[in-house]
Amino acid sequence: MKQTVSEKLFNVFNCTFFVLLGLTTLLPFINLIAKSFSSESAVISGKVNLLPIGFQTGTYLYVLQNDMFLNALKTSVILAIVGTAVGLFVTTLTAYPLSRIQLRGRKWILLLFIFTMLFSGGLIPTYLLMQALGLINELPVLFLPAAINVFNMLIIKNYFEELPDGLEESAKLDGASNVRILFSIVLPLSLPVLATIALFFAVAFWNDYFTAMIYITDQELKPLQLFLKELLVASSGEFLKDNVDAALNTTPQSIQAASILLATLPILFVYPFLQKYFVKGVLVGSVKG
Amino acid sequence: MRKRSVFAMIAASTLTLAACSGNNAPPPSSSPSASASSEATATPSSDTGGGEKPEMTMLMQYGLFDPNADPVSKAIEEATGYKTKYEMLPAENADEKLNLMVANKQNFDIMKLGSAQFYKLATAGALEPLDELIEQHGPNIKAALKEDSWKSATIDGKIYAIPETGSGISVGEELVVRQDWMDELGLQHPTNPDELYEVLKAIKEAKGIVPLTGTKDSIYGDIATAFGVINEWTDIDGTLVHKAELPQMKDFLTYMNKLYSEGLLDSEMPINTSAKAIEKFASGNAAMYKLAWWSASSAEAALVKNFPEAKIGIIPYLKNKDGQASVGVNLATTWFIAVPKVSKLKEDAIKLIDAKLEKETFKKLAIGEEGVHHEFKEEKYYPILPKFNDDLTNASVYMTGVDEHNYPTYWQARVRKDPVLQSYYEAFQANAANTNIVVDPMSVAPPIDAVSKNKQKLTKLLDDQVLMYIAGSENIADYDTFLARWMSEGGADAIKEANEWYKSTK
Amino acid sequence: MKSETASPPGTTPATPIKRGFFAKLAADIRRDWDLYALLIPGLSLLLLFKYAPMYGITIAFKDFNIFDGYAASPWVGWKHFAKLFSAPDFLHVFENTVIISFLKIGILFPLPIIIALMLNELRLMLFKRVVQTVIYLPHFLSWVIVSGLFIDLLSSNGGLVNKALSSLGMEPISFFLDNSVFRGVLITSAGWKETGWSTIVYLAAFATIDPGLYEAAKIDGAGRMRQLWHITLPGIAPIILLMFILRLGNILEAGTEQILVMYNPTVYKVADVIGTYVYRMGIGNQDYSFTTAVGVFESIIAFTLVIAGNALSRKYLQRGIW
Repeated sequence: MKQTVSEKLFNVFNCTFFVLLGLTTLLPFINLIAKSFSSESAVISGKVNLLPIGFQTGTYLYVLQNDMFLNALKTSVILAIVGTAVGLFVTTLTAYPLSRIQLRGRKWILLLFIFTMLFSGGLIPTYLLMQALGLINELPVLFLPAAINVFNMLIIKNYFEELPDGLEESAKLDGASNVRILFSIVLPLSLPVLATIALFFAVAFWNDYFTAMIYITDQELKPLQLFLKELLVASSGEFLKDNVDAALNTTPQSIQAASILLATLPILFVYPFLQKYFVKGVLVGSVKG
Repeated sequence: MRKRSVFAMIAASTLTLAACSGNNAPPPSSSPSASASSEATATPSSDTGGGEKPEMTMLMQYGLFDPNADPVSKAIEEATGYKTKYEMLPAENADEKLNLMVANKQNFDIMKLGSAQFYKLATAGALEPLDELIEQHGPNIKAALKEDSWKSATIDGKIYAIPETGSGISVGEELVVRQDWMDELGLQHPTNPDELYEVLKAIKEAKGIVPLTGTKDSIYGDIATAFGVINEWTDIDGTLVHKAELPQMKDFLTYMNKLYSEGLLDSEMPINTSAKAIEKFASGNAAMYKLAWWSASSAEAALVKNFPEAKIGIIPYLKNKDGQASVGVNLATTWFIAVPKVSKLKEDAIKLIDAKLEKETFKKLAIGEEGVHHEFKEEKYYPILPKFNDDLTNASVYMTGVDEHNYPTYWQARVRKDPVLQSYYEAFQANAANTNIVVDPMSVAPPIDAVSKNKQKLTKLLDDQVLMYIAGSENIADYDTFLARWMSEGGADAIKEANEWYKSTK
Repeated sequence: MKSETASPPGTTPATPIKRGFFAKLAADIRRDWDLYALLIPGLSLLLLFKYAPMYGITIAFKDFNIFDGYAASPWVGWKHFAKLFSAPDFLHVFENTVIISFLKIGILFPLPIIIALMLNELRLMLFKRVVQTVIYLPHFLSWVIVSGLFIDLLSSNGGLVNKALSSLGMEPISFFLDNSVFRGVLITSAGWKETGWSTIVYLAAFATIDPGLYEAAKIDGAGRMRQLWHITLPGIAPIILLMFILRLGNILEAGTEQILVMYNPTVYKVADVIGTYVYRMGIGNQDYSFTTAVGVFESIIAFTLVIAGNALSRKYLQRGIW
């Protein structure tokens, strides 16, 4: 395969562009890492850039020995795994029928779903509902209401619609039921979109602190991002303004940096793991065969 | 047959999802709040001669620790015999969460509330009047509190909370300067705004930096005081005047705007956090800023690390035109300890609070045991480290009222855990003692509807506008237009009702 | 998109020649009963958690007091909407919202598509995967942290960008305090934080494209640009359309969370949007009725745009969300 000159030029440009873009997104993380390993005095005076100054590892020992952090980590991992499994299951089951053109009332059911993306009853009635269901301070409150995600559902539905019609037609002629077609033909061909949505769910559950802030007061059930949020808020000027006792116990910035990193690292490994499903040509064999 | 089983499977999975919600579902309390006060007397009291004491539930303000695992919670249980389950409000959206919990009649026996939260719940009828309960079960409470303190928690003649006044009067911030530069340039500490201007100009010329930095959260204080903007409220000939309507406000803003536009005041002040201000000072990018004593040790350590020869000088409070320096203080109650009407253990709640305020118990819960947590020398309490920090760091979050006669003395043990901290704290207080200390006349006011209701909104409106005038994005000539708007947004009502109360006390 | 008229053959055996509406309905349901069954979990969660609390919208038309409850709060009609529209700053704030939102859609909507297409052209698999992983990192930083980074970067007191400007002999710019550039800061930082993350959905869509098409194009001698234009882009067009219509639903959400963290009084003129304005005016008051009314106003506009966007798309592009 020969490349033309313009293609070569484009390749050079493209690679350079992504190296530069990658650097701008990577450098802030390197800065955080440097801060987390630096002495507090160096961090406070803003001297730390890409390398630690006054190297120490006490910040990590401190965070990793903190029961609140460890508890929160446990909650977040469980939440991300269970939430993603339930969310993916429910959302996929919903997307499939709605991708079938022949389904009667499809349009109205879709509208029913989309309506909830734009209108919501608000926090107060939702809180009342959660209380009536006994979900306050229970783990399911963190993933059950979010398990049906309309945005994710529409993406899966869109993907299902793009699959070639021929497959199902022949399966139907063989007498396969809709459910059987979904599980044995459609889903195996949908790994790219399922991986994407799994990532979306996992990241959303991992990053969500608001739900926990409203419904969880039990320390054992607070997820990592809420822990992190509270750590940062409790060190902010606004929070400390009229609270001398809290101001006497602020969290050092180097520990804040270590906490941010430790709270982000686990979820960062999900994407590289899922990337292998983003392969082109998953459909090739099946369409022709 | 096969079809049916698939359907059954799906149906079952939905049911399990719904069933997850089955456990632990307390039905929302059905007791109407109107009759709750009569219920109080009807609730079974556990006061049967040292029998099993009931488990209490307390709602507290946010703190970065696990309230049910902290040593203080165990100490309280040992000292009072009451096992207490603690829940915290979130660090953010605390008011929202509190409203939701109260509106849904979530059960608490004791609540520690901020002043706005207290006022809202008290006027909404969610709190129990405590006069009789305190009379019957609160001898220690009555002994611990000063007569005047009760005013802030009294609405329409009834006490709705035990006011917690905190650690007493102290000032937190004062201007500090790079003393090594001052000495190098042969400059004296400025004593008034004009001299401050000259000093800043001299530093700017010699060092090529923007000398004064500051934060968006700390606009008032030293400089404003020298112009006569001392507290939120001022008594002028028997009338309460809000700082927004003080004519001196414009002088202060004009002066600050001059510093800003001439490059003497950090142009990034509207976006600076306190950490940023410290960073600029410690890295030699600023020569002067308002230091809070509680951040003094880390700030000084960072500065000396960068410039081993650097020294920090504290600038005494600036004097006004008449040569008088002033410091404003607010004595307002910080926390309100209330018992909600939904509580089924109101008597026990007061008994628990009372037990915590028994003189020796309170001392033990505040600063621990002598010889273990603290020592007493030269009439001062000193912490024994690290035991004091291990056991008592979060003690104040658990407090439900303080022994007002002794707590300010006890509390200073916290400052003495670090010599740098202590030296700044003591220097600030000594400097303040040399000035005319002006107490905000509204400190001792009871909750007033028009004042409490819009306080946060009006403060934000004013602070935002003040920053715009300082940064020059609005013209100070238009101040009166803004003032009219501020008045119409609720400022006028607040001033009117504040004065109605003020006149009534005369 | 597939034809809606013909139902697939062979699924409804023994069809009677004349059928009433209900008979047809019954037949369709009988045919697709298992599809409907699949909807049950999603639909029940939707009804329980999204529709059951929907009555909360009524407080936009009441003077709601949370301690009195829904029934006891009096109806007040359009009062809160009138309050919003007659607020002295409303027009100004609405204008800011629309401008910032349009800038974000105009600039930040195409960006992930372009980046995804460029990523697709990278031939070295390992490099491609590393780049993908690295550019989505900022999504995991909260706005407070991102704001702090940009403040440092753009500081007029030692920030990298201003150092570069002054070495070029230009005046320093106070990016966070200057009304003429602050919107640029908002858009740049939002782009930096979210573009990498937003590419993912398009990257997944590339997988649906039949590689045979590229091979055929190569045999025909089509260059990479032509392949991109005639195969790749049409291949992901459906997902672009879906994302665009859904983006319209957020038109009055110009980034409240971001702006609350990043703005300051000196740039209220250009950055105060509906969300931040309502937040500031409501501080310490918890006016639930008013905030709900604002929400309803935003939702109605969003819903109208989504419906209209979908209708236009069906008419001119022959496809839509439904």
